[in-house]
Amino acid sequence: MKGIEIQFPGVKALDGVDFSLRRGEVHALLGENGAGKSTLIKCLTGVNKMDAGKITLEGKEIRPTDPKNAMDLGISTVFQEINLCDNLSVAENIFIGRQPIRRGQIDWKEINRRSQELLERFKIHIDVTRPLSQYSTAIQQMVSIARAVDVDAKVLILDEPTSSLDNEEVKRLFDVMRDLKAQGMGIIFITHFLDQVFEMSDRLTVLRNGHLIGVYNANEITKLELVSSMIGKDLDEIFDLKRATQKPDAKMMLEADHIGVPGKVEDISFNQKQGELLGFAGLLGSGRTETAEMLFGVTKMQNGDLKVAGIPIKIGEPMDAINHKIAFCPEDRKRDGIIGDLTIRENIALALQARRGMMKPMSRKEQDELADKYIKMLSIATPDAEKKIKELSGGNQQKVILARWMATEPDLLILDEPTRCIDVGAKAEIHRLMLQMCEEGMSIIFISSELDEIIRCSNRIIVMRDGKKAGELSGENCTQADIMRIIAGEKDGETA
Amino acid sequence: MDKKKSSKLVNFVTNPKYLMVLATIGIFLVIYGAGILMYGDRGFSKLRTFMMLFVDNAYIGISAVGMTMVLITGGIDLSVAAVASLTGMFIAYGTTVLGLDPVLCMAFSILVGVLLGLGMGALVTYLKIPPFVATLTGMFLARGVCSLISRESISINNELIDKMAGWKMYFMKYSGGEWVKIKPVAYINLNVVIFIVMIIIGTIILQKTRFGRNVYAVGGNEQSARLMGLPVDKTKMMVYGFNGFCSALAGIAYALYVKSGWNLALQGGELDVISAAVIGGVLLSGGVGYMIGTFFGVLLKAVIPSLITFNGTLSSWWGKIITGALVLLFVALQQIVMHGKIFKKKSDPSHKKE
Repeated sequence: MKGIEIQFPGVKALDGVDFSLRRGEVHALLGENGAGKSTLIKCLTGVNKMDAGKITLEGKEIRPTDPKNAMDLGISTVFQEINLCDNLSVAENIFIGRQPIRRGQIDWKEINRRSQELLERFKIHIDVTRPLSQYSTAIQQMVSIARAVDVDAKVLILDEPTSSLDNEEVKRLFDVMRDLKAQGMGIIFITHFLDQVFEMSDRLTVLRNGHLIGVYNANEITKLELVSSMIGKDLDEIFDLKRATQKPDAKMMLEADHIGVPGKVEDISFNQKQGELLGFAGLLGSGRTETAEMLFGVTKMQNGDLKVAGIPIKIGEPMDAINHKIAFCPEDRKRDGIIGDLTIRENIALALQARRGMMKPMSRKEQDELADKYIKMLSIATPDAEKKIKELSGGNQQKVILARWMATEPDLLILDEPTRCIDVGAKAEIHRLMLQMCEEGMSIIFISSELDEIIRCSNRIIVMRDGKKAGELSGENCTQADIMRIIAGEKDGETA
Repeated sequence: MDKKKSSKLVNFVTNPKYLMVLATIGIFLVIYGAGILMYGDRGFSKLRTFMMLFVDNAYIGISAVGMTMVLITGGIDLSVAAVASLTGMFIAYGTTVLGLDPVLCMAFSILVGVLLGLGMGALVTYLKIPPFVATLTGMFLARGVCSLISRESISINNELIDKMAGWKMYFMKYSGGEWVKIKPVAYINLNVVIFIVMIIIGTIILQKTRFGRNVYAVGGNEQSARLMGLPVDKTKMMVYGFNGFCSALAGIAYALYVKSGWNLALQGGELDVISAAVIGGVLLSGGVGYMIGTFFGVLLKAVIPSLITFNGTLSSWWGKIITGALVLLFVALQQIVMHGKIFKKKSDPSHKKE
């Protein structure tokens, strides 16, 4: 790709970016949110039209008009959000649009057989005739990768393929990627996990604000250099985070005594002081999210006792939680968090309005002030508060949701994977905000799959495993290895 | 070996894909069985009663074939009954008043049906007008043209039409050395043949062609379908076109059934067609549905008035009430099956344990 330029109303999304991919190479595409990674990919797959520049594939100039056309040209893509039809069977999702036809009819046997084989490569053993919706996000993600891999492409684009996979699954994906690489396929790999970048890629291209910053060989650049080239800030600023200081006289905020929902999470006990940042670590599906949902009343707590500020309470539905000044940012912001067609202002005002009740509407002026305040405070990148939230990048959407709950001035804020799918810069910003809020006396429950950020921010860490609390660590002097040992601990015991 | 077979059966039954259809068939069998127990002595158990379910409802069934596809894409078509009525009008006016060839009239009706369908499809696909609104305009248009042609009912007087309407295939039995009609007389007519053929064609299209699978994909997640490189727009256009064809065909069947054309015929018929499909397990939100389900949906909807007739004391409006209850039951069932716990396991541990 040479000199690609794209213009959106008001902003130049890509400005003269060059990008090249060799045969049999894994090329990582890096940059903050809004840097232009996704836009570049969309040009390649024909979703967006280019205003200038050209794309050549094997020496011939191509102009993909739509994803189907790109696929025919040999460019296969796994988009960041899972783009499959979950009403169809797993097998059909892999083959739809290119089903084998035998005697004028779709050959279902062949489809199911080949899907099974294909998924075996990923070491996934599932019933491929069942609807996709019955399987976890991780499996759906693998299925969409399987589909892209099977189309016999020359170029494979993986946009954040690992964000919903656990370590084991990531390893399998990497094995498959190495296979494909050996077969001569060129792979464009977009991720925000820097470790994975270094593990997998041969070269890296860094974008920032629609500009090409540089192309590096993966073995010639250090992680720190890479991060600084991505965000263009001083490294000290990013990594110099101070954990929230604990006031010794802080009051008890939350006391959970053997709380649980049978079948989901059981027997969870912990307590949290005011201004404390409590990290929840554990694997996908270990019960972190379920605990959070229980505390917020999404699922009804059935066992145990809960005390907020020393007073026993019952939380049956989210409204109860909100009334006790508890706020919750869910994991899947697209599904549970943002309302894409409303503006930033409306999205921010939403929760506060709900708490005030229908009878006391907020005036437009109040809303404007509120929105402006948080846009400035969280440095949300937007021309104004009237932009629809779906037009923002992931990191900025996350900040809007954060603002929504901060506006209600909660005593306890539960953040479920607030940094998922956002880049290093935005992540650091969110960390900084969390710690700042803790300093101001808010208690935060912070759920994340990334151990290093949990360790960096938390005062204490609760480790979950298989729907139970597996251990508790102090944040000050614990290492990733400590947490992993607890996560792995009983697993070994099970197999033994 | 046997164990493997039975686990396969369990797998089939618990697969939510088929659960709705199995529910429809089950409820039909229960109601029909109950009818036989209660009114078997009055002739409910006779083959004639069963075949009359087909004869009296074939036109609804034919239209339901097209409707099933539209519903699977996540759309809806309110114009079907009006288009069918318009077809009847064309045939009645063309043959009886103008003296045109009936085959010509039928061909013209089908052409108009397909064009209307494509037109509404274009509104839905390219102008992104909600299907409800787009087809509502189609419905008013067709009804309006109907009334423009005539506001009186026109009875059809045509040799070929009489022949087609009068054609019957009787069920025979071999008795005393020769074939005789069974008593009471049971038969199927041309409409029933068209209905069954359309169900078979519909099944083949949906299950055995790429187009059919695209219909499901569009209904499941249109955005995803597009990104998977499927021809979403073309699929939607063809579905509405095909439904227009089915509406016109249903109109022909209805004209053969009542042998007249009337501008107010089949008022509210579109709701009968939609409810038959819903009772047959077609998901109103799209993505799920089977022709065989629709087939049984039509029968289930048909058996209720039949039962009420056999009872003799109940008001015929009970038919509507029970149909309403059935639709409610199925919509509720869909919600439970599709969005409830049966359908959504949060994580599937099967792949983790090697």
